[in-house]
Amino acid sequence: MSIAQFLTIFISAVFIYNVILSRFLGLCSFVAISRETKPAMAMSLAVMFVTTMSSIITWFIYRFLLVPFGLTYLRTISFILVIATFVQLVEMVIRKTSPALYRFFGIYLPLITVNCAVLGVAVLNSDMFFINGKAVPGSFYYSAFQGVCVGLGYALAMLLMSGIRERLDFCDVPKTVKDFPLAFIIASIMSLSFLGFNGFRF
Amino acid sequence: MKKYFSEFLKGIIKENPTFVLVLGLCPTLAVSTSVTNGVGMGIAATFVLLGSNMIVAMIKNIVPDRIRIPCFIVVIATFVTIAEMTMKAYSPALDRALGIYVPLIVVNCIVLGRAEAYAQKQTVLNSLFDGLGMGVGFTLALILISAIREALGTGKILGFTLAHKFEPAFVLGMPSGALLVIGLLLGFFNVLKGKRE
Amino acid sequence: MSRKMNNQEEFRRDAEVSACRLIRHPEETQEQKLHSGKNKLIVNISPHLHKDESVSKIMWMVVISLIPAGIAGVIIFGLEALQVILLGVVSALVAECVIQLLTKRRITVLDGSAFLTGLLLAYNLPPKVPFWLPIVGSFFAVAIGKQVFGGLGQNIFNPALVGRVFLMASWPKHMTAFTKPLTYDAVTSATPLAVLKEGRVLEHVSNWNLFWGIRGGCIGEVCIFALILGALLLFIRGYISWHIPITYTVVVGLFTYIFGTKGLFSGDWLFHILSGGLILGAFFMATDYVTSPLTRKGQIIFGVGCGLITAIIRLWGGYPEGVSYAILMMNAATPIIDRYTKSRIYGTR
Repeated sequence: MSIAQFLTIFISAVFIYNVILSRFLGLCSFVAISRETKPAMAMSLAVMFVTTMSSIITWFIYRFLLVPFGLTYLRTISFILVIATFVQLVEMVIRKTSPALYRFFGIYLPLITVNCAVLGVAVLNSDMFFINGKAVPGSFYYSAFQGVCVGLGYALAMLLMSGIRERLDFCDVPKTVKDFPLAFIIASIMSLSFLGFNGFRF
Repeated sequence: MKKYFSEFLKGIIKENPTFVLVLGLCPTLAVSTSVTNGVGMGIAATFVLLGSNMIVAMIKNIVPDRIRIPCFIVVIATFVTIAEMTMKAYSPALDRALGIYVPLIVVNCIVLGRAEAYAQKQTVLNSLFDGLGMGVGFTLALILISAIREALGTGKILGFTLAHKFEPAFVLGMPSGALLVIGLLLGFFNVLKGKRE
Repeated sequence: MSRKMNNQEEFRRDAEVSACRLIRHPEETQEQKLHSGKNKLIVNISPHLHKDESVSKIMWMVVISLIPAGIAGVIIFGLEALQVILLGVVSALVAECVIQLLTKRRITVLDGSAFLTGLLLAYNLPPKVPFWLPIVGSFFAVAIGKQVFGGLGQNIFNPALVGRVFLMASWPKHMTAFTKPLTYDAVTSATPLAVLKEGRVLEHVSNWNLFWGIRGGCIGEVCIFALILGALLLFIRGYISWHIPITYTVVVGLFTYIFGTKGLFSGDWLFHILSGGLILGAFFMATDYVTSPLTRKGQIIFGVGCGLITAIIRLWGGYPEGVSYAILMMNAATPIIDRYTKSRIYGTR
């Protein structure tokens, strides 16, 4: 375990291989929920919670269930079930604590289950921190940390996008592109600019 | 009968999953690089949508609300596995082209989205037509997007080279290009709808 | 409303304020927003430049300040460079005209901003690109970089840079084919930064070469001398302030000094400051009013961010140059920076 590895994970997940802008995972909620900052941050918090906890639990499942019994081909299905359960949990909590937020999220809350970012980080962890089925030293901490960092990367992209869209709310944007078309175009330009991080080598 | 037909139609235009509901973007961005891939994915997704919508509508009263999402996932995953195995058997080239995005239909927002928003509240027949309509709408959207991306991004379409001197814009093969195409298409549809200033 | 009174009273010429955040009907929109209960204060407090002439003046001033760099580019690379510049500028003007006609908005082609966009885009291109490249690039820059947001003052990203990264992603071969300086023929040569990125040893390029522009590169970026002349003009007339460009340059220098080579604190910072598109970017593109933060503090953050990202991409990224990407990324962050560094409105706590 080294600080350098943690630092690398942090910088990669948040900036260089940003889950939304470079890996293009989690786009549905990115385009749909990023209109205002408060809900965008709330969604990011929910996603971060799910990515972290599912990184942890899927690590255990992979390490102690799938690998020893040679069941790694069941990875996708088992990971998804874990994530689905967690999202159900988060949904129950939000429903109790803030019904307005629950109604606002609408369909996009249960859709965190199928948010490619969440499954993506779980799969990424098992690819990066296991070699031939054996866990590298510190694998658990790296996986958990990467879960947190992917959530942070998601939050960063949401923060930038919601700032932009809120600013554009005050502007006289042509009606033909208002809301979604412009959101896609902005996402396109943002991901073009993140191309600058391609080919990174420390 | 008319009612079912309108359920079907709504998935194609009024509530098109890609352009109106804004769902299922990840596979759309990844797979719409060529028309053949787009069609293949569309057909596979339609099959899964049909199956999962129907089954969810059938079991909606038995499934406890608290664990409904994991249950739906199991249903969806089953159909995806069937689709995947069929594809591997009857068109392995397509399977190789689509790669991991076939099993990733499990996480295609459209499928779970329709199960959650529609199939668990409607009758089996309605859900069937809804699933069919959404699937066709998704496929049509994929065809449109991939036609543009393939023609302008590689200079060829379905194997035919378009114009020999034409230098294709590589950006269209990348996800940013896809986002751009979708954004511009959406704007164009708005113009058609008469949303001018 | 007392707030409204204060804003209008402080209407004074200050070139550093976001001149281009033209709000169409300032009085009513301010009122509406203050009453709407959204509690989102528009950061651009006094002064609001209501007069279009002032915006125009600034744009044309920047164009004038860029002329030396263009002349230098043509001298160093030949008449093809002139062709690129003309194509870029004319296409941008045509694009703006056509789009404004189609969308039935006011035609503002003469305000200089489309001219500036076309010019800056051309300056960011290699001298020997095919004729259609600056045309497509300018169209994209004006249409997607600017008009789709509703025109001047509302774009989030620097339009010329949007055009440039679009061209770079679409036709990388053309965008990286540089020619030897002062030979006026088709001998290709890599830019100093590209040579460095490939790990080869840099020969025959002294810092003086970099300063005068005797090196491969994009048309408007190579002659540092010409660019500094133009920048001085803008400084003296008060059109740009030091916060963004100096911070940007210093951070790049510092970072490359510390991390530039295998040992620490031994990097060639002067080389990095003089090469690539840093001076062009820092003084003429990062300073664009519309796409950079309003407040001093925000501008410094902006400059630091641009500098860090540029240096990181140059040292460890896949591309030899990171100026365009860095500025665009910080453009995206500008609304957030503005929100968290907003100044007090006079008369309130």
